[in-house]
Amino acid sequence: MHEVFVAQSLLNISINECQNNGFHRIESIKVRIGRASGVIPEALLFTFDTLKAGTIAEGASLVIEEVSVSGHCNMCNADFIVDERFILCCPQCGDNSFTVNSGRELDIVELEVF
Amino acid sequence: MKLKVVSKILDANERIAQENRRIFNDAGVFVVNLMSSPGAGKTSLLERTIKELKHRVKVGVIEGDITGTKDAVRIKSLGVPVIQINTGGACHLDANMLNEVLKYIPLNKLDLLFIENVGNLVCPAEFNVGENMKVMILSLPEGDDKPLKYPLMFQESSVLIINKIDLKPFLDVDMERIKKSARSLNSSIKIFEVSCKTGSGMGEWADWLYSQCKPP
Repeated sequence: MHEVFVAQSLLNISINECQNNGFHRIESIKVRIGRASGVIPEALLFTFDTLKAGTIAEGASLVIEEVSVSGHCNMCNADFIVDERFILCCPQCGDNSFTVNSGRELDIVELEVF
Repeated sequence: MKLKVVSKILDANERIAQENRRIFNDAGVFVVNLMSSPGAGKTSLLERTIKELKHRVKVGVIEGDITGTKDAVRIKSLGVPVIQINTGGACHLDANMLNEVLKYIPLNKLDLLFIENVGNLVCPAEFNVGENMKVMILSLPEGDDKPLKYPLMFQESSVLIINKIDLKPFLDVDMERIKKSARSLNSSIKIFEVSCKTGSGMGEWADWLYSQCKPP
């Protein structure tokens, strides 16, 4: 997908957050990445390492927590979690009427700063 | 020291998209984000739709392409205001690219603004630009397996226009399969079958769009 865009965006947000709280260096950034977000963790790590050079996050590690795709079937009422990157139908009954509950996250959750 | 942060990484795009939406609302213009693969017929659909609607509503177009002005030249010849964005390689329009050109188009004088996205069945679906409605085109020669191969585009779009239906006799494509799988991904998707070549189905589509954006 757009790992460069995502990495740059998460760096900008983290650096602002760090400086606005009076800190000068970022040690780690923890993010939650949904499996259906279109972002490939390996590619995000690679671009993050490239883009962080020369910033206050130069020494920072990026910790990625992947979030599975989950949903609720409106037909059979099942709550389900799938391994795929998309839900195409309810794995229990095969119906197409479902609500997606998780899997598209692209969130920063925690920064370790000094 | 650990800082708890809850911040959406794509917030920057979302924020600008909301700002664009506010600008569109203030100007009273209805905005359609038109997306499809390259060559599915976005510009041809615009040409036909503009001809159908330009005596009923005031239409403008923002053209998104990697490079060049071919589409903008086609649209300009219809006598409607058009702005070309060249993304310089980027595979989709984002809210900021759009925000930067809004000052060049007379929004206050428009009722309906089309944003023709970069031809791509994947990435444009990921980025809101502040539109009122996402419309996608699938042309028959692309094949009936596309909804299940590119699900996000079909899930995000409110309208699916199936184009090039005049080619149906020459193709091994199952129209019902396209509709069925599109609806399985998005039960509320509105589907129109058209041919920009023959004009078939264009009246129905244009009338429906008019009903959505009718000026007060």
